[in-house]
Amino acid sequence: MADVINVSVNLEAFSQAISAIQALRSSVSRVFDCLKDGMRNKETLEGREKAFIAHFQDNLHSVNRDLNELERLSNLVGKPSENHPLHNSGLLSLDPVQDKTPLYSQLLQAYKWSNKLQYHAGLASGLLNQQSLKRSANQMGVSAKRRPKAQPTTLVLPPQYVDDVISRIDRMFPEMSIHLSRPNGTSAMLLVTLGKVLKVIVVMRSLFIDRTIVKGYNENVYTEDGKLDIWSKSNYQVFQKVTDHATTALLHYQLPQMPDVVVRSFMTWLRSYIKLFQAPCQRCGKFLQDGLPPTWRDFRTLEAFHDTCRQ
Amino acid sequence: MGVTCVSQMPVAEGKSVQQTVELLTRKLEMLGAEKQGTFCVDCETYHTAASTLGSQGQTGKLMYVMHNSEYPLSCFALFENGPCLIADTNFDVLMVKLKGFFQSAKASKIETRGTRYQYCDFLVKVGTVTMGPSARGISVEVEYGPCVVASDCWSLLLEFLQSFLGSHTPGAPAVFGNRHDAVYGPADTMVQYMELFNKIRKQQQVPVAGIR
Ligand SMILES: [Zn+2]
Repeated sequence: MADVINVSVNLEAFSQAISAIQALRSSVSRVFDCLKDGMRNKETLEGREKAFIAHFQDNLHSVNRDLNELERLSNLVGKPSENHPLHNSGLLSLDPVQDKTPLYSQLLQAYKWSNKLQYHAGLASGLLNQQSLKRSANQMGVSAKRRPKAQPTTLVLPPQYVDDVISRIDRMFPEMSIHLSRPNGTSAMLLVTLGKVLKVIVVMRSLFIDRTIVKGYNENVYTEDGKLDIWSKSNYQVFQKVTDHATTALLHYQLPQMPDVVVRSFMTWLRSYIKLFQAPCQRCGKFLQDGLPPTWRDFRTLEAFHDTCRQ
Repeated sequence: MGVTCVSQMPVAEGKSVQQTVELLTRKLEMLGAEKQGTFCVDCETYHTAASTLGSQGQTGKLMYVMHNSEYPLSCFALFENGPCLIADTNFDVLMVKLKGFFQSAKASKIETRGTRYQYCDFLVKVGTVTMGPSARGISVEVEYGPCVVASDCWSLLLEFLQSFLGSHTPGAPAVFGNRHDAVYGPADTMVQYMELFNKIRKQQQVPVAGIR
C-alpha cells in the first residue's frame, strides 16, 4: 500500500514540476522579450527608462519565483532510481519496446557474468596466494642459481639438467629407486619403484610430469618388445585408485616457474604410499572399505584416508 | 601372486561339512564376492624307501608331492620344514621312476576342492578337504593380490578374514614370520596347505554323510 501511495504522490509532484518548468521557461523568455523590445511608447525618456526597469524587475522576480517553486518541487520528487540495484540503468526496464532493444536483459546478464567473474577471480587469487606461500616454504634447500627464471625456457631444459634433478630426488629417498630412460627422444620416462609396494611409470615432458600409471610390485611394466608400457592400467583395483589419485596430485602440485620443486613435491607425496597396506584410515580407523585400503594421501599432511573418508 | 593365508574352518555345530561350506559361501556372496570357477589342491605323501636308509636306525623323512590348480603346469615337492621344489608336472612321472628311493604311502592322498570367489583385490577359495571317500574338514584360502610382503598386509588380511570368519579367524600363518620382508611366493602357499593337511590327517574323522 505504502508503495502505491508513494508512487502516486511522486507522480503528482512530477506533473507539478513539469508545469513549474514550463512556467520558468515562459518567464525566462518574457525576460528576453522585454530586453529585445527595449524602451518605447513613453513620452519622456525618464518615463521610458522607469517603465522599462520596472518591467524588467517584474520579469526577473517571476523567474526567481518560478525557479524557487521548481526547486521546492524537485525536492518532493526525490531520486526515483535510488533504490534500484542498477541505479539509473534500471530505468531501461521501463522501455516498452523490449523486442527491438533487449538492452535491459543483456545488461542484467552482463552484470551477473561480471559478478561471477569477480567471485571466481577472488577464489583463484586465494589459491594462487597459497601456492606462493608453499613456494617460499620449499625454497629452502634448493640451490637458487640452478632454477630457471624465465617461464618459456622450462619447456626446453637441457636433458642433463633433468637428469640432475631426478638423480638428486633419487638420492633423497632411500626406499625409492628411480630409473630414467629416454626411449622416445628427449622426453624422459621414469620407472619409480617404491619399496616392495608399487611401481610407478612417470612420463615427463622436460621437467613437467605428463602422465603417471601406478602398478603393483609384482606386475609387469614392460610391453612385449621390452619398452615401458605407458598405456595399460593395473589389474588391481587398489592401484587403479592410486593412479587416479596420482593424476589428481599432478594437478595439485603446479608451479610453472619451478618444475623441479613440483617433481620433488610429487615424489615426496608418492613416497607416503610405502605404507599403503600398513596404514589404517586416519578417519574411520579401519584398513578396508569396500575391499580397498586407504588409497588417498593428504597433499599436505600425507595422512592416509579412504577415498570416501577424506574431507 | 599376492600374500595368501590358508586356514581351517571348523564344522559348525549340528551341521555337516557341506552345510558349513554353504553358510560360508553365502556370507561371502552377501559381502559382494563373485564366483569365479573352481579350484583344487592335492597332496600325496612319500616315504624314503627302507633300502636307502643307513643302518644306524635313521628314520625316513616324509616328502609331499602337491598340485595346485592355480599353477596347472607345476608340481611342488616339499619336505616338512625343508626346502620346496617347484617343478614341471612331468615330475610325477619322475617319482614313479624313483620308486627305489621314495615310496608312496598307501591311501595318503588328500585334497581340497571348492569354489573361487573374487572380492575386489581379494581371492577367496573355500574348499572341502577329502581323504579317500570321506570329507575331513573345510579349508579357507584368502589371497590379497596387490601385496607381495606378508608382514606388510597381515593386519589388512586379518580385518578381511574377520569380516566373514568371525570368531574362527586364524592367527598369522607360520610362514609369514620366516623371512621379514621377503617376497611371498607360491611355495609359501603350498607349505601352508601341507601343514593344514597334516593337521587334518591327525584330527578325528567326520562321518562320510557329510560330503554331500
Ligand atoms: Zn576410512
